[in-house]
Amino acid sequence: MAVPISQMWTVATYVLKKRLTGDKRYPLVLMLEPLFRCNLACAGCGKVQYPPHILKKQLSPAECFAAVEECGAPMVSLPGGEPLLHPQIVEIVNGLIARKKYIYLCTNALELKRRLPEFTPSKYLTFSVHLDGDREHHDFSVCREGGYDIAVEGIKEAVKRGFRVTTNATFFDGTDPNTVRGFFDEVMDMGVEGIVLSPGYSYDKAPDQTKFMGRARVRRLFRAILSNRKPTWKFNMSPLFLEFLMGDRKYECTPWGSPAYNIFGWQKPCYLLQDGYTETYKELIETTKWEEYGVASGNPKCANCMVSCGYEPTAVIEGFGSLKGFWGMVRGTFSSYKDAHALKLLNDSAPHGPAKLVQIAEPAHASMAETNQ
Amino acid sequence: MTAEVMKYTLQQVEDLELAPGFEHQKLEGWIPALASEDELRQALEKAFDYRGDVTLTLKSGERIEAFIFNRVSGATLVNSFVQYFTPSATDKRKVSYADIARLEFTGKDRAEGKHWEDWVKKYNEKKGAGEKNIALVPDVLE
Repeated sequence: MAVPISQMWTVATYVLKKRLTGDKRYPLVLMLEPLFRCNLACAGCGKVQYPPHILKKQLSPAECFAAVEECGAPMVSLPGGEPLLHPQIVEIVNGLIARKKYIYLCTNALELKRRLPEFTPSKYLTFSVHLDGDREHHDFSVCREGGYDIAVEGIKEAVKRGFRVTTNATFFDGTDPNTVRGFFDEVMDMGVEGIVLSPGYSYDKAPDQTKFMGRARVRRLFRAILSNRKPTWKFNMSPLFLEFLMGDRKYECTPWGSPAYNIFGWQKPCYLLQDGYTETYKELIETTKWEEYGVASGNPKCANCMVSCGYEPTAVIEGFGSLKGFWGMVRGTFSSYKDAHALKLLNDSAPHGPAKLVQIAEPAHASMAETNQ
Repeated sequence: MTAEVMKYTLQQVEDLELAPGFEHQKLEGWIPALASEDELRQALEKAFDYRGDVTLTLKSGERIEAFIFNRVSGATLVNSFVQYFTPSATDKRKVSYADIARLEFTGKDRAEGKHWEDWVKKYNEKKGAGEKNIALVPDVLE
């Protein structure tokens, strides 16, 4: 089990309280983007393409704390941009810890080793390090040679200093499931608490518009990756969300589960789509036309999305909101998901000779038969 | 609801192998005609989606260089507005649609220009030349 009991207890009691009070739309994770500035230029990212004067702006610690208190989510994710480029990031993190929020500071770790002495280990603070695969894959994915080695150095130092650390991987079309499984072994050997993963979202502003998987392909890929798990692998995610990625569960998006706040305000409707902004969280919840989003809406911008910020809240709410869901979560935590068909997929997709870089590999292996029948 | 909504059936969505991706519209340098209310609303919608600065000329004659990050479309032009940041001010500002006389897409489109193929080409060329630490770097914040 990768998520500590205290964190699970906090989230479980929060969900139960919300159910008892009859709240229909409540946040689980605040996606708090303190800045858009980044020290990488990844081809799959649509978050950082702004004029310099926008990239120079950042939220103040006071603005961060006000947003956290306004929405009340028990967990706060600090993505960006690169949060470690924020000059007051330590003050922001310490303020969130003081408010007993479980923080995931999402970083590419280029600055992590250097900045670590400024932070204090806490059960509330996790460094979620962006690592898209082994050295070759990661460096190509983030368009920077040497990025993997720097990130791994940061991870090892953070683990050594007693910090909670997870890795966070985004997968695009052409990903080889065998390579990913090997990568899981690699990161668990680094001593991380768990792995976080997600299919890439097709940002309309991302430079590359040809590598985003559709839902059918996502299910096949994740079934091949996540079936027949090794006991050493730990995932810092809801087991029900992983079952959703594997095609075992059908979920609708819960966009209000991970509301996003940044220099523009509260982002409508979610962390990934930008359909406008509101000044207050209340206004976000009350004025967003939620029925226009999610798979069932037919909105093309939501069509291929199976990303954790929309679907993991659905899984968490099911997991802590019903006995059936809770049992599914317990079972999922301890299951290895044995699946002979998925094993065949792995064998069929095993590369002959050295594996190609994920992003310049050919589209999905022709012999990867449908897995979610 | 946008015009695109309801384009897919649920089954089509579930069966998608590759997400279609979005075609990037080249707007840099464009000066839309704003003769009618519809033209103004459509142009400001594009300005909201644009990842570069625009220049607004108000009916008062004032010119504003702005990054438009939000628009609220009301029943009339008077109660519709855009919100923006300027390069020199720190606060968010807003202006009513009814006060806008001219719109120019003057700033560089920051979502244009870096393509995956360019990275692969650059990588292969530099690798072939024996270079190390090959990377795409973010734009310099001038």
